[in-house]
Amino acid sequence: MTPAVYGVLFVFLAPVFGGLLAGVDRRVSARMQGRIGPPLLQPFYDLGKLLQKQARQVNPVVEPLLLGHVFFMAVSGVLLLSGTDLIFIAFVFALAALFLVLAAGSVNSPYSFAGAERELVVLLASEPFFILMMAAICKVTGASTYAGVLASPQLVAVQLPGVLLAFLLVATIKLRKSPFDISTSHHPHQELVSGLTTDMSGRMLAYVELAHWYESALLCAFMVLLFNWSVPLGLLAFAIAYALEVLVDNSTSRAKWQLVLRSTWAATLVFSGGNVLALFLLSR
Amino acid sequence: MTSLIAFLIAFPIVVGTILLLITRASIRNPIVLVASAAIAAASVATVVTFGNGDGVFFGLPGGIVPGQALLAAEIAITALIVVIGLMNRRILAPIMAIAQLAIALFLEVTGRMPEADPQRLFWFDRLSMVMILVIGLIGTLICVNAIGYMHDYHRSNPMIKGRRNVFFSILFIFLAGMFGLVVSNYLPMMLVFWEITTVCSFLLIGYTRTPETIGYAFKALNMNLLGGLGFGLAIALLADQHLGLDFAKLMAGPASGTLLAAVALLAFAGITKSAQMPFSSWLIGAMYAPSPTSALLHSSTMVKAGVFLLLRLSPAMSGSTVGYLVTFVGLGTFLFVSLVAVTEQNTKKVLAYSTIGSLGLIVGCAGIGTPELAWVGVMIIIFHALAKGLLFLVVGTIENRLYTKDMENFDTLLSRLPRVSVLALAGIAGMFIAPFGIVVAKWAAIRAFLLVPGGQGAVMILIMAFGSSLTLFYWGKLLIKVLSMRSISDYERSIERRISRYEWFTEGALAVGVIAVTASIGLISDRVVGPYALSAFAAGPQTFLNIEPAMLVVMLAAVLFLPLLAVWASTRKFDAADFYTSGRSANASHVMGAALGGSKSVTLRNYYLEGVINGAMMFRVGTLACGAILIAMVTVGMVVR
Repeated sequence: MTPAVYGVLFVFLAPVFGGLLAGVDRRVSARMQGRIGPPLLQPFYDLGKLLQKQARQVNPVVEPLLLGHVFFMAVSGVLLLSGTDLIFIAFVFALAALFLVLAAGSVNSPYSFAGAERELVVLLASEPFFILMMAAICKVTGASTYAGVLASPQLVAVQLPGVLLAFLLVATIKLRKSPFDISTSHHPHQELVSGLTTDMSGRMLAYVELAHWYESALLCAFMVLLFNWSVPLGLLAFAIAYALEVLVDNSTSRAKWQLVLRSTWAATLVFSGGNVLALFLLSR
Repeated sequence: MTSLIAFLIAFPIVVGTILLLITRASIRNPIVLVASAAIAAASVATVVTFGNGDGVFFGLPGGIVPGQALLAAEIAITALIVVIGLMNRRILAPIMAIAQLAIALFLEVTGRMPEADPQRLFWFDRLSMVMILVIGLIGTLICVNAIGYMHDYHRSNPMIKGRRNVFFSILFIFLAGMFGLVVSNYLPMMLVFWEITTVCSFLLIGYTRTPETIGYAFKALNMNLLGGLGFGLAIALLADQHLGLDFAKLMAGPASGTLLAAVALLAFAGITKSAQMPFSSWLIGAMYAPSPTSALLHSSTMVKAGVFLLLRLSPAMSGSTVGYLVTFVGLGTFLFVSLVAVTEQNTKKVLAYSTIGSLGLIVGCAGIGTPELAWVGVMIIIFHALAKGLLFLVVGTIENRLYTKDMENFDTLLSRLPRVSVLALAGIAGMFIAPFGIVVAKWAAIRAFLLVPGGQGAVMILIMAFGSSLTLFYWGKLLIKVLSMRSISDYERSIERRISRYEWFTEGALAVGVIAVTASIGLISDRVVGPYALSAFAAGPQTFLNIEPAMLVVMLAAVLFLPLLAVWASTRKFDAADFYTSGRSANASHVMGAALGGSKSVTLRNYYLEGVINGAMMFRVGTLACGAILIAMVTVGMVVR
C-alpha cells in the first residue's frame, strides 16, 4: 500500500479506534471505581444520539469552527501517515487544537470562556513538547517522514528516554485526563461545569467528541513513532501508557493551570530538552 | 534599469519636497495618490526590467561618482540632527552624529576613502528585487492609507497640532531612503541612505511633539545613531586596511581577519536597526506614533533595512563565531519578546513584540549563514511585511472607530465591525495560523537548525519550540476576542460605514496580497527566493522545502478559513442566545442576576499568565542577556579576527 492509502484509511479508521478506546476507558475506569460500566460500544451510541438531538446555535461561528477542528485533526493524521514532514505535522496539530479554543471562546459566556482560556494555556504547555519530539525523532533517525522513521533500524525510544517520559506527562493533557483536564472538566468534580463545552449541545458536542477520537488516534501514531521497530510494539506501548493515564486520572484531583503550565514546561525542558541536548552533543 | 532606479530614489524626494509646501488636503491627497501609483508602477517596472537573473552592477549615466555629494548629504543630515537635538536640549544624538561625520571627514581629508567604482555603484539582485517590491507596493499602500487615517486621527485628537504636510513629506523621503539603501553597492553611499531612514523614523515617531513621543523619538534616534556609528567605523576599518568598499565583493564568502571585524560592526548596525534586544525599546516607543508610522516602520521600511543588511552579511558570517553570536542575539530576542508579548494587553504593543520576534528569527537565520536559512529569512521578510502591514493598518482603523488599543475591548469585533474583522483575520492568519507563511518559515528553520552541529543546535531548537508556542498563545487570545459575537444596536452597526475608502482599498489590497502570496509560495520559492539563496552562497542546485500539493491545499484552507467564515457569519441574522451561568438569570448583553435582586455585568478577561511570567522582568532579562551576547559578538569580531 502506498502512504496515501494509509492517509485515507486514517480518516475512516481513526474514529473507530478512538471510539473503542473511549469505550474501554469507561469500562476500566468503572472497574477501578467498583462499577460495572457501560457497554464497550457506548461511545458510539452516545455519538449517534448527540447527532440526532436538536443543536442550539449560540452564534453562527461555533459550528464552522468545530467542523474546522474536526477537519484539521483528521488532516493532521492524513498528512502524518501519507508522508508529510513530521515537524510540519506538529504545527498542523496545534492549529487543529486551536480551532476548539476559538469555538469555545467565540461563545462569549463565562464558563465557555474560562474553558477556552484554560485550553489555550494547556496548548501553550504542550506545544513545545510536540515540536521538540518531532525534531528529536528526525535527528535520531535522519528521516523526515512517518514511513522513513518506521524504516529506520534505530529504536527511537532507546535514544529518547527523556522524550518518552515527557510524552507520558503531556499525553495526560491531550487525552484530557486528570490532573490536567483543566479545560474540559470531564469528571465529577465540577468546578468549571463542563469547561469549554458548556454552551455546546447536540451535534456540536458530537463534533468535539469525534475530533477527540482523531486526537487519540494521532497520539497513538506518535507513540508508534517512538517504538518504530514495529506497529504492534507501538500499540502495546500505547496501551500500557493509556492504562497508566486511566489510573492517574482516577486517583488525582484537578490541578490549577499554573501548576499544569509550570510542570509541563519543566518536564519538557528538563527531560526532552536534556535528551535533545545530549543527542546533539553525542552526535558530533 | 539605471533610470528606473534613479527615478525610484529621486522621485519620492521631489514629491516629498512638494508635499512639504502644501497644507491643503484637497491638493495634497491627489498628489499622494498619483505619486504612490507612480512609485508602485516604477518598482514593478524595475523588477520586470531586471527579469530574473543573478546580481547585476551598474553606475550612474556618464560614469558620475557621487564623491563630494555624499559628504554634503552627510553634513546636511548631521546639521539637521544637531539643530533638532539642541532645540530639544538633547546632547547625545548631536554628539554621535558629529562623531560619525568626523570619521567620514577624516577619511576624506587624509585621502583614505577609496573611490567608488563608477560601474559598480548599484547592486541589484533577487534580494533587492524582493525589497523593491516590498517598499514600492506595501510602502505606497501605507502612504495612501494614511490619507484616510490621518484625517480621522486629527479629528479624534484635536489637541495635537496638525502638520500633515510634514508627515506625508517624510513618508515619501523615507521610501526614497529605503530604495537607495537596498540597491547601494558602495558602502558610504549605503550609509547615507541608512541615516536618511534613521532621521525619517525619528521625525515620524516624534510627529505629535508631545513630551512622551519626543522622548521615544530621541530614544529611537540615539539607538539608531549608535548603529550608524558602528557602520561608520566598519567603513573606516575597511578603508584603513585597503579592503575596498565594494559591498558585493566584500560579502562574497566567509570573512576572516579585519573583514570579519568590519562584518561584526555592520552586524551591530543591523541589530540596532532591526530593534533586536538590547535595542528593542525604541520600536516599542514608536507605537505611540500614528498607526501608518507603525505600519511603515514595522512592515516595509526601517526594521526591514536592518534584516536586509544582516542577510547581505550572511555569507560573510557563515561558520564564524561572530555569526553564531548574531544568531543567538536574534533567537534570544525571539524568545524573550514572545514571553513579554503573552503578558501584554495593548494590541499595538503585542504586534510590536511580534514584529521584533519575527525579525529575531530572520537575524537568527542570517547569522548561521547557510542557503537554507537565508531562504527562510527572505520568506519571513515577504510574509511579515504583508501581514504585519495589514494588521497595523487594521488596528489603526479600529482605534479610530472604537477609541481603544486594548485587546480586551476588541471583543465581539465580528459583530461590531464585521468587514474590518475579515481584514484582521486575514492578517492574523497571515502572521501565524499554523501551516502558513511564517510557520512554514519556522518549520524550515527548525529543519535547518537540526543540521547545526553541537550543543548550540539543540539550544536553537529549544528556543524555536518554546518561542513558537508562545506566539500561538497571544495570537489565540486576540482571535478569541475578534471572533466572539453578540447582538448589536443599529447605532453600533453604523460605525463601520464611516471608514474612508482609502483605508478599505489599501487594507483590502494587503489582505488579497496575503492570500495570493500564500497560494504562490511554491512559485516564489522556486523562482525568486531559492535562486537568490543559491547564488548568494555560490551553492550548487538544491531544493529547499518540499511543499507538496496536499500541504499547499491545507495551507490555503487554513488561511482562508477564518476570513471566509467571518464573511459568511457577518451576513447571518443573529439573535444572541442566553448563556449558562449556573442557573443565575443572565442575558446575552452580559448582565447577570446577583444576590438580593441586584444585577452585575459580566466581564470576560483573557489570561495574561500573571504569577507565572513577569513581562517586565522578561524584558530586562532579555535585554541583559542579548546585550551581553552582542558585546561578546563585537569583541570577538574585533579581537579574535
